[in-house]
Amino acid sequence: MPSMTRRLLSSCCAVTLAGIPFAGAGAQEPGIFDDRVVFGQSAAFSGEAQELGINLRLGIEAAFEETRVGGGVHGRVPELVTLDDGYEPEAAIVNTRRLIEENGVFALIGAVGTPTSRSATPVAAAAGVPYIAPFTGAEFLRDPQWNNVVNLRASYYQEAEAMVRHLTEDLGTERIAVFYQDDSFGQAGYEGVTRALARRGMEAVALTVFPRNTRAVKTGVLELRNADPEALVMVGSYQPVAETIAWSRRIGFDPVFLTVSFVGSNALAQVLGPGGAGAIVTQVVPFPLDDELPVIRQYRDALTAHAPDAVPGFVSLEGYLAGRLALAALQGAGPDLTRARFLDALTTMDRLDLGGFLLSFGGDNQGSDAVYLTVIDDSGQYRALTNLNEADGP
Amino acid sequence: MKHWLTRIVSASNRISVRLYIGIGGAIALTMTTSLIAWFSFIRVGDTQDRINEYVPDMVTDFLLAQQNNSLSAAASRLTAAVSREDFARVSDEIAGELALFEERLNELTLQDDTEGGVNDIRSGAEALIDNIQAIESSVAERFTLGERSENLYAELAALQQLFERQLAEATDDQFFYTVTGFREIDAPPVDEGVHFTEPELHRFRYLMELDFASTLGAQILAAVSNISDPNQLEPLRERFEAAAATIDRNLRNIGGEAALSAELMADFDRLVEMGSGADGSFALRSQELILAERQEELLTTNRALAGELGVLIEGNVSAARARSLGATLEATETTDGAQNLLLWINILAIAGGIAIAGLYVGTLVERIKWLSQRMRRMAAGELKAKVEMSGRDEVAEMAAALEVFRHNSLEAQRLNLVEKLAEELRGKNEELEKVLGELRQAQDQIVMREKLAALGELTAGVAHEIKNPLNFVKNFAEGSVEIIDELKEVLAETGEELTDEQRELLLEIGGDLDENLSTILRNSERANRIVQDMLSMGRGSGEWGRADMNTLLTENANLAYHAVRASDPNFVLTIKEDLDPDAGEIEAIPHDLGRVFLNMVTNACHATDAKRKKIEAETGTSIQPGSGGYEPELTLGTRRESDTMIVTVRDNGSGMPAEVVEKIFNPFFTTKPPDKGTGLGLSLSNDIIREHGGTITVATEDGEYTQMRVELPLESRLASQAEDSEQDA
Repeated sequence: MPSMTRRLLSSCCAVTLAGIPFAGAGAQEPGIFDDRVVFGQSAAFSGEAQELGINLRLGIEAAFEETRVGGGVHGRVPELVTLDDGYEPEAAIVNTRRLIEENGVFALIGAVGTPTSRSATPVAAAAGVPYIAPFTGAEFLRDPQWNNVVNLRASYYQEAEAMVRHLTEDLGTERIAVFYQDDSFGQAGYEGVTRALARRGMEAVALTVFPRNTRAVKTGVLELRNADPEALVMVGSYQPVAETIAWSRRIGFDPVFLTVSFVGSNALAQVLGPGGAGAIVTQVVPFPLDDELPVIRQYRDALTAHAPDAVPGFVSLEGYLAGRLALAALQGAGPDLTRARFLDALTTMDRLDLGGFLLSFGGDNQGSDAVYLTVIDDSGQYRALTNLNEADGP
Repeated sequence: MKHWLTRIVSASNRISVRLYIGIGGAIALTMTTSLIAWFSFIRVGDTQDRINEYVPDMVTDFLLAQQNNSLSAAASRLTAAVSREDFARVSDEIAGELALFEERLNELTLQDDTEGGVNDIRSGAEALIDNIQAIESSVAERFTLGERSENLYAELAALQQLFERQLAEATDDQFFYTVTGFREIDAPPVDEGVHFTEPELHRFRYLMELDFASTLGAQILAAVSNISDPNQLEPLRERFEAAAATIDRNLRNIGGEAALSAELMADFDRLVEMGSGADGSFALRSQELILAERQEELLTTNRALAGELGVLIEGNVSAARARSLGATLEATETTDGAQNLLLWINILAIAGGIAIAGLYVGTLVERIKWLSQRMRRMAAGELKAKVEMSGRDEVAEMAAALEVFRHNSLEAQRLNLVEKLAEELRGKNEELEKVLGELRQAQDQIVMREKLAALGELTAGVAHEIKNPLNFVKNFAEGSVEIIDELKEVLAETGEELTDEQRELLLEIGGDLDENLSTILRNSERANRIVQDMLSMGRGSGEWGRADMNTLLTENANLAYHAVRASDPNFVLTIKEDLDPDAGEIEAIPHDLGRVFLNMVTNACHATDAKRKKIEAETGTSIQPGSGGYEPELTLGTRRESDTMIVTVRDNGSGMPAEVVEKIFNPFFTTKPPDKGTGLGLSLSNDIIREHGGTITVATEDGEYTQMRVELPLESRLASQAEDSEQDA
């Protein structure tokens, strides 16, 4: 039997060497070649959320490049094919189909956003294509019915829970308002905060929405100001969030601003500049300048090697970790790679240590439960926090 | 004249003539029927030819009708096409169908048109083709329109999204400004008297209305594409124009391009144009609906044209069918007539045949059967009954001939019988002669046997009688020898008185006497032995008992060996034993069996000695044991089998030629010198073995070896008989 498989593989690679596309490779699953394995990414590379897509890709490619230099996994070098969906669900569906049917990718990786993932996941699931490390903490992706989905990061609920915990425990905050984008991502954040509050017998003092894909936040800001919260949890993409912080402070409304990882921290800091000082951003990956963890050093080396001009950031770090997760799965799947073996390798992995960033898939499809706190300092740079009291700097 | 009539009458009695008449009649009948059939075939063929002329017409008509149907079906597929590709495919199919249709049409036109239907069909078909082409072009137009409206709606969707975002942001901005006085984030806020004013509130309302009206306008335009009733277009157009008027009014109220971006203004213009413009949504939809209606009409026309054409073609087909039906009917009538005629002829022929068979053939067959029966009986040998038959035909002639044949056969049978008897007689004679010969032979044998028996008795008697005088001769000869010895002693004691010459003479005489006496003794002993043998011939001298075969054989062999050895000091022989240790005892007369073995071993000794002497004489050397040349050898063997005892005596002596072997069991036959054997030894042995119920067989090769093989039953039948008789006694 093994000799049979080997013969099959060698015949397949002979076909690919002859330059015939994957469709001619017979029974073998798409995207798997003797010398390479092809991943696909549909994400926002244009529009409001483009910073997320671009940095996520950067991180994944850095991880892939690192492996490529080292000769690949089981002789296969990972490749990434990307398509821009502009954070639009319709485009995400079209792209996912294209990646699966036309590009014949082995697995999908690094999708950006909740509404886009919500649209693309069923497509991927129907085709049996692994859907790895989407850049969202939405709860529906943690549903065990998706046996093709593997999450890297903590969920929005967990981020919201961390926010509320720190607010109530570190600062003794009682009045918390939620300002969220009018879509499934915003809904998820809002749900998370409401639940976390409800666990503590609390309620949000204001729940306000702003239209998706616009910067029309000012009316909402006025409404929130009237509620007079001590802390404002914002769930939205970085531009309306930055707009919210800027305008709130402009009119003298200055609660503790908190937002979840999705905003795209670097972009947020860039847009806000020093005006964003004190804004708290929860993160699902460690601080990218933290030299304590080996994986951070590896990440920065890989990033420098791949894109010397790139600035280390949370999103590209998450991309890098996503890439490393995929590579670990390839390693675990063994030389006779199939999608089933690839997914099995992850779900059977009790504990995966990516250089100090610990992942565990025991019982669920989510690797990390860690939530980290960061704050924008006066220079417009991020700083790691362990307690919200530390944010009260000059 | 009379003679001629008689000839005819007599000829009519002949079977051959009658057969000729019958066959001739049958041929005439067959020819008649064939002619009738032939004529009807010709007529049917003629009508068939005519039908054949109509068939291609009908086929063409049929194919044309088929083509007509598929064309009219294809026309509705054209209008049902959902994509350009689909349409192109259907168009291709229709082009193919049209080509086929025209081909069929041409075939039809080429045909001889007598009723003018073809011209009607042709013009109908051309109308149909034109109509189909009209449908095709209208469908093509529909696709062009469809693509245009698709582009329009794509643009509309993008526009709508743009309005949503920009107006949302503008409204948001205006509200914020009205409440707070901030317009730009970098700029300081204006006084409340400036921002929280009625005009600013109105501006906020205008923006809201603009947002609402643009969304409504876009939605109305989107709804236009779903309208299927042209009458519903007008109310929608009115509503869209109202929304457009609202947009226009609010834009004016806001202050036009001065207050909003030029891009947004252009987008509003575009939205209005999309509705009301010549290429707008309403115009497009209206054209589409008109086109759809026209297509429906064309399809209806198409169906009507196809129906009319179908009726025309059907008419043509009906005419052709009617013609061919007429011809078919004619053919059927012809075949029916011929059929009836043939049926009657057949009935007549069968009736005639039955009548002839009943009247004539029956009698004839009876006569032939009777004749054949007679022949069979004659063949079986019954020749007595006379063959007689009346009539003057060939059968009667055959009966007459058979009668002659019967006569001749009877004659021949008689002759045959005499010859057979003579033959049998000869056989019997020969048999009698043979029996007579045998009888004579038997008689001779009986006489011989009697003679031999008498000779036996005589011999026994003579032997007995000779034995006594022989004893006297022997005893007195021995006594004479003693006397001569005494004489010699006396001579020695009293010899001094005699002269030397006298003593010499006396001694010489004594020596001669001694010699004579020993000759007498020797010969008397020989005579005694002969007598002894004669006496033992024919009867046993011992008693039945148990005899150990190995012991009996070896003892007698040793006895014989020493006897020969004693008489010839040069005699050498190696005796080998191949004895079965389990040989054991058998029921036998040990004394007699011992004689047999003694005899056999003695013969073997003589045979080897003869060979030795012969070789010595030839080579001139003396043969000694172990010298490497001829080694005289005797092998004694016993073997006990399940119910027999086998004893073999084998020597490598001179052997025997075949003619000697034949005679060795005959009494008085011997090859030895007269003083060595009596010729009774083997004869006697044979008798003894036979008495034991066994056999002697000889295997020999002249000059090489001789093997005597004795086979004896373990429990002698004769012995048991002897015991029985003893018990009886």
